Amino acid sequence: MDNNNKKDYAKQGEYLRQEMMAVSAARLLRNEMVLVGFGLPMIVAILAKYTNAPELIMMTEAGVYNAKPEHTPLCVADCRFSYKTSWYGTPVELLGAVLPTRRADLAMLGGAQVDKYGNLNSTCIGNYLKPKKRLPGSGGACDFAALANRFLIIIEHDKRHFVDTVDYLTSPGWVCKKFPENKMVRRESLGMWGGPEAAISTMGVMKFHPETKEMYVESYYADLGVHAEEIKNNTGFDIDVSRAKPAIPPTYEELDLIRNKIDPEHFIVPKFDASKVAR
Amino acid sequence: MTKIKTIQEAVKLIKDGDQILTGGWTVIRRPMAASHEIIRQGKKNLHIVCGTAGTDTDLLVGAGCLAIGEQAYVGSEKFGPAYNFQRAVAEGPEVSGFTYDDNSLLFAWLRIQAAAMGVPFLPTTSLLGSDILNPEYDTLKDMRGKNPKLAKKKYVTMKDPFFEGREVILVPAIKPDVAIIHAQEGSKDGTICIKNCPFGDRIVAMSAPVTIVTVEKIVSNEEMTKHTAENILPGMYVTAVVEMPYGAHPTQMPHYYDNDPWFYKEYQANAKSKDTFTKFVKEWILDTKDHQGYLAKLGEGRLQAIKADPVCGYNPTMERKV
Repeated sequence: MDNNNKKDYAKQGEYLRQEMMAVSAARLLRNEMVLVGFGLPMIVAILAKYTNAPELIMMTEAGVYNAKPEHTPLCVADCRFSYKTSWYGTPVELLGAVLPTRRADLAMLGGAQVDKYGNLNSTCIGNYLKPKKRLPGSGGACDFAALANRFLIIIEHDKRHFVDTVDYLTSPGWVCKKFPENKMVRRESLGMWGGPEAAISTMGVMKFHPETKEMYVESYYADLGVHAEEIKNNTGFDIDVSRAKPAIPPTYEELDLIRNKIDPEHFIVPKFDASKVAR
Repeated sequence: MTKIKTIQEAVKLIKDGDQILTGGWTVIRRPMAASHEIIRQGKKNLHIVCGTAGTDTDLLVGAGCLAIGEQAYVGSEKFGPAYNFQRAVAEGPEVSGFTYDDNSLLFAWLRIQAAAMGVPFLPTTSLLGSDILNPEYDTLKDMRGKNPKLAKKKYVTMKDPFFEGREVILVPAIKPDVAIIHAQEGSKDGTICIKNCPFGDRIVAMSAPVTIVTVEKIVSNEEMTKHTAENILPGMYVTAVVEMPYGAHPTQMPHYYDNDPWFYKEYQANAKSKDTFTKFVKEWILDTKDHQGYLAKLGEGRLQAIKADPVCGYNPTMERKV
């Protein structure tokens, strides 16, 4: 890898799915106000700051503004995030003032389930009142999905994660729930702005049709052995793959940043091992 | 007059069935030593409210101290799931004795803010579209109107009567009896200083009629006036100041010590089953008798290993994958 030009694209067998995900998401970020959560979203935001969006401002719901971590934080409130920041806010200010006045351009959310409208579940598996598995819950995810100007979904891709109906709708997508009727309606009809821009999965990047608001496959990680049909077979609802193209691979520079600068201890992105990567 | 108390005296201010809330954030600056004393004093049927719950909530659920939880998130971040909490919710209140209702983070924080302001509710434009508003999923429905600590309704929808008529959600104030936070420094007159990100601890303390603050170090009243901007609370909001070095362990205390990954590993391994966790609570909390006993059991080597760099706030060289 050292002999390659850093702007060149990496070849098949030279990178991991998690790295492809981070790169695919980071390329969608701009010089803007981003609310980051723990995990891959944090890697994505830092990567974007080092590459295509140097003026990006990273904020967390714990109250950190313009984070520039020198060591990988283990949660949004870790003082590795707050080291060298210029200002601390309270969660009432970050969630209750920055978000509702449309000052947060982008949020990134994960989850245990997503449906075709980008509704996310991070609350439970099974019936909410008697769950098979309880998960941590919304945290700020519901508020981010409701009030950020747009959001990205970062999620594993299989039929357990991409489902026809989420077991619990934690964070609202394009067509979400209206109460007390408990019926699915377009988010605009509830007076809501924003909505999911894309879902970046372990297989590819999905976007949402401008009219129907249904998810379709925009690109698939061809170098990692993924085909559009495979995405279809691993999705729990009917998904349009007619526009799917192979994804643009990471550059050597992007890989170097993830591996050696952003997560060198591999808390979030596993260590690359060429002998274990399928070619 | 001094606000300084022992942890035994301070925790006696909490009664069985009280509504409590704690400061900090998931695995950062949580009042763990105070939680240990709650367990040692055998408090029961507590009602916990707050936004980002972490290790302290999981511990209190696992030790059988909680009856109701109204929160937005319960987990120990990279250290793993809140196994005691997950088990209690999956078993259901009939078995575990614990009823949990989901808020979102803004929902939870506005409820705390409303209590601090002394108003019955605050409006928000969040929550729309989410099952958090699903009346069928209100797990506390049957207790509302009977338990005075619970709002009669989870929320109310109304149209903004002043401007464009947008739909807003009104969320009820919490009704806490006691707030507990852990800070770096406090003084005899009750002034409290938090170095590094204070999260919402100021609002947490202001929301309750009784606030217990455990601190790493008690300093003089005069010393506190040298960094007024870092002081998050005046004495009027503080009932008790208790000196508890390592009082947030195993959570992180910026500028004092980092998360203790070795302790988390042992905690998580034991939290997976009720039997092993009961033994863990006995070994680490009940049998150690007090905080000094707990620290002695941890040992000087561990306390040194997690020590933070006073400038950056964390330990930049510590092995974090154990």
